[in-house]
Amino acid sequence: MLQTAIGPRDPCGGAISGSVTARGERGPDHVGKQVGFARTENSEKKSVTMSDLEEPPRVLESGVGMKRALARWNQQLQRIHSPILRYSLSVACVALALGLALALQHYQFRDVELPVLCLAIAIVTWHAGIGPSVLAILLSTMSFNYFFIEPIHSFAVSTKDLPYFITFLAWGALVAWFSTVSRRIEAGLRLARDRLQTEVEHRAQREDEIRRLNRELAKRATDLEATNKDLESFAYSVSHDLRAPLRHLVGYSELLQKEASSSLDDKSRRYMQTILQSAKRMGNLIDDLLAFSRVGRAETQNSLVSLEQLVKEVVAELREETNGREIAWKVGALPACYGDRSMLKLVLANLVSNAVKFTRMRARAEIEIGCVDGKNNHEAEMFVRDNGAGFDMQYVDKLFGVFQRLHLAEQFEGNGIGLATVQRIIHRHGGKVRAEGAVDQGATFYFSLPNAQDAVERIRHDHTGTHFGR
Amino acid sequence: MTTLGRILVVEDDPNDVELTLIALGEYHLANEVVVTRDGQQALDYLYCRGEFHTRSNENPAVMLLDLKLPRVDGLEVLQQIKTDESLRMIPVVVLTSSHEEKDKMRSYKFGVNAYVVKPVDFHEFVNAVKELGIFWAVVNEPPPGSMKKLP
Repeated sequence: MLQTAIGPRDPCGGAISGSVTARGERGPDHVGKQVGFARTENSEKKSVTMSDLEEPPRVLESGVGMKRALARWNQQLQRIHSPILRYSLSVACVALALGLALALQHYQFRDVELPVLCLAIAIVTWHAGIGPSVLAILLSTMSFNYFFIEPIHSFAVSTKDLPYFITFLAWGALVAWFSTVSRRIEAGLRLARDRLQTEVEHRAQREDEIRRLNRELAKRATDLEATNKDLESFAYSVSHDLRAPLRHLVGYSELLQKEASSSLDDKSRRYMQTILQSAKRMGNLIDDLLAFSRVGRAETQNSLVSLEQLVKEVVAELREETNGREIAWKVGALPACYGDRSMLKLVLANLVSNAVKFTRMRARAEIEIGCVDGKNNHEAEMFVRDNGAGFDMQYVDKLFGVFQRLHLAEQFEGNGIGLATVQRIIHRHGGKVRAEGAVDQGATFYFSLPNAQDAVERIRHDHTGTHFGR
Repeated sequence: MTTLGRILVVEDDPNDVELTLIALGEYHLANEVVVTRDGQQALDYLYCRGEFHTRSNENPAVMLLDLKLPRVDGLEVLQQIKTDESLRMIPVVVLTSSHEEKDKMRSYKFGVNAYVVKPVDFHEFVNAVKELGIFWAVVNEPPPGSMKKLP
């Protein structure tokens, strides 16, 4: 329907006058039926006239696009929605303008009728859309022709009337164009506002979500803190309260031993001795356990630590134990790394003293401390290797557990907490521990520190690195 | 002419009191030993109030202070002593079971003169208390005002 309506007008605007008149006459027929979609279609047809006048060839590129554009255009132009009101406004405006023009003419004001009618057309176009606008143009033209153009009081049409008609038409088109532009801007603004609104709503939702998550996080942190505090107070009371009765046990046993040992037989003395030993052992266990728990709780104070320097210190401190034994130390190049110095020293002290302890039965102990480059992720891996008692690989999982021992206390003393401490410290530094070994063939303990290699690189690049004892 | 200063022991556990007294007695220290059983009593003693209002008001030569005490705990007592102009010169030795870093930090922050962890081993304990007694009550010259003037 639209296609056929547009079709004949496509090529040029040459027959403007004729076509518009024909159209305009058809226009009012539709007034009564303008409900729902019928109204839109009708108005579309009218708007073709307007757009034809403005930029004929470009707008008419494709039928479907055209239809959509026109529908939008017309919708943008209609501010009053009731069709009856719109056409009434059109008629009323022209009638008022005509009345005003006639009144002014009566008072000898000349040539005001054209602007007054133009004003009426402008108002109608602005507020009522294209259909009423065309009606207003036609009515204005007719009344102008009838009242103000010679011969007065006749509808005789001549070529002299054409300029007036074109003036009205052009004026109407101009106002329609302005109106459309203004409405387009308004629509754009409204769209932007809506978008902004949704954006604001979304943001509010997201903020609510964030707040909720934050609350959850805060709650979790509080829980964690409470748990931590519980743990701390537990360790604290162990430290304070558990050791006191133990001290009394030992103290009074020793006093008893001192006072009454002469009156006791050998068996009783042995019992007494056992009580004392057990109590002392328990004291050591508690102390070790507390130290272990401190490793987990204490804040780490990170600095650049030279592992090589630490190994030197650790070996020097073990001199008392190694005195009189033949031990072949083999210490390779070790990297420096970022970490807590005292904790890392504890790691090395545990590993090295283990190596010293478990090579006790060797005539010539061999202890090697070194570093291998990781194959996969370039993580440096430090190791402590000995040729001592070793262990069965099937128990390797138990090696790093708290209070887990693979040897009898008579063979090798210890509480089974050293390697657990090692593992905890290395894990806190983000590294890994592992062990390899075989019964009677020695053991190798590996630990990695994720930033060890970085530190090595840094030292290599940084000339001031020499003061780290390398 | 002066005589030896008093040793003030603040300890709530009767066994610890006995062991401490035995340890101090091992060396036959001639110093008078006063035992208070909680922080409040210790402060009463230092300020000569309550049950101690009749005592002569010289300060003890050394104070052996446990940290975990009923009513007023050891750290509060320590803080009170070290912020009081008339008491701050008393040498205070914290004698406790606690290895805790936190306790050590706070004690030293308040100005403790020594921090000794009670050893589990009785011999070590005796030695520690003995040495403390000897050092602070005999070897160390206490601040003026902590000696009883002989008539």
